[in-house]
Amino acid sequence: MQTSRARLFKEYKEVQREKVADPDIQLVCDDTNIFKWTALIKGPSETPYEGGVFQLAFAVPEPYPLQPPQVRFLTKIFHPNVHFKTGEICLDILKNAWSPAWTLQSVCRAIIALMAHPEPDSPLNCDSGNLLRSGDVRGFNSMARMYTRLAAMPKKG
Amino acid sequence: MISDSITNASATAAPSARDFGKKKRTNRTAKLKQSKLGLRREQWLSQVAMVNKGGKEEMDANRKPGSEKSDQRDRPVVNLDGHQRGEEDDNNSGANRHESFMESLSNSPNSILSGMNSIPNFSSSSSSGSGGSCSGNITEEEDADDDGCLDDWEAIADALAADDEKHEKENPPEFSEEHEHENIQQSACESDVAVSRKQKSNQAWRPDDELRPQGLPNLGKQRSSPVMNFHYSSVAVPSSCPICYEDLDLTDSNFLPCPCGFRLCLFCHKTICDGDGRCPGCRKPYERNTVKVETSVQGGGLTIRLARSSSMFCRS
Repeated sequence: MQTSRARLFKEYKEVQREKVADPDIQLVCDDTNIFKWTALIKGPSETPYEGGVFQLAFAVPEPYPLQPPQVRFLTKIFHPNVHFKTGEICLDILKNAWSPAWTLQSVCRAIIALMAHPEPDSPLNCDSGNLLRSGDVRGFNSMARMYTRLAAMPKKG
Repeated sequence: MISDSITNASATAAPSARDFGKKKRTNRTAKLKQSKLGLRREQWLSQVAMVNKGGKEEMDANRKPGSEKSDQRDRPVVNLDGHQRGEEDDNNSGANRHESFMESLSNSPNSILSGMNSIPNFSSSSSSGSGGSCSGNITEEEDADDDGCLDDWEAIADALAADDEKHEKENPPEFSEEHEHENIQQSACESDVAVSRKQKSNQAWRPDDELRPQGLPNLGKQRSSPVMNFHYSSVAVPSSCPICYEDLDLTDSNFLPCPCGFRLCLFCHKTICDGDGRCPGCRKPYERNTVKVETSVQGGGLTIRLARSSSMFCRS
């Protein structure tokens, strides 16, 4: 209990200090609960997610950092490793490959890397995974771009 | 940073130049050789910095492929570099040391060594400018290598004096022109030797004046970064535990639970051992035996106590 709170507080201070260091990630702590965080990440360039801003919700468990935070997409995203309805993320470092040396910031970076390099062989979104596995990169890209425009970009006009 | 290195070099060289002032006549040739060596080194450094992105060893090998002595030559230079930096806690003490070094050598026939002396001046000052905080570590490392070589100074000096005869003939024509020019200038303002030396160090860059400013910082990075990396991976201890972000105390910072070198505080190590028992750095399970061996290898009462306490952790 005490360790996770102390560590999250230190991470919070770190985030405040390095706000300018990583312009693609904006990590905000809930005002009343240090175990709830939200993050805004920019879609990586040269992917169908480019130009979109995606919101992530972090739920930090009590034994953190010995256990990984639970992260899910609040913004809808068409990606093989993200559940289309719940936003659940299939990422090894959020499950068995978690290391206490990771931070919320580095989790965000890992998720950005996952967006740029989807792994269609362990899909949560079967439609998306099947498109990529059948080699229809163009179809996947257009679907993903469409959902990025619909959900992750500010509405114009 | 470049201007730093210039001023440092001239600052450390100034006392030795004053020393020269007493024996100008006898040491004229020595000065010439010194400037030649300096020039050659400058040119070589900038060439290497531009062309070769490789390590220092490679550069040493490239330096004089023709002569067999080059290896013998280079090694003492590097070691002297480290040695002097060891003494050089600040510029003054370093300068004093240079002076005594010069006096002892200027009487001997092997006064070419005073030329050699200028080379470490350049490299040590430039790299201490760029290396920053890690210079102490470098000193330790290179001091360890020193001991064997410095005993052999007399023999090496003899070899170098013989070697320099050859080098004089090998010098390219543009260099000799440069030296003529310097010589004239020196005789013109012999009263203020320090100033002329400063100008001389500027002139040493002239052959490739445009390349030089770019080359120097690159070289500094090349020299310092592998050393920095090396020390970061194996020696440097983080100030706080990467798991709980609490400061590491003396016991914690001597605690090396995993061969991968990932350090953490004893509290976090215990909680991890109670749980899945994998090192956060490499995700391999902590080997309980390794913990004891690693800590006892380090020796000392403190670490032995550590070994016991960590074995207690693992039993609980």
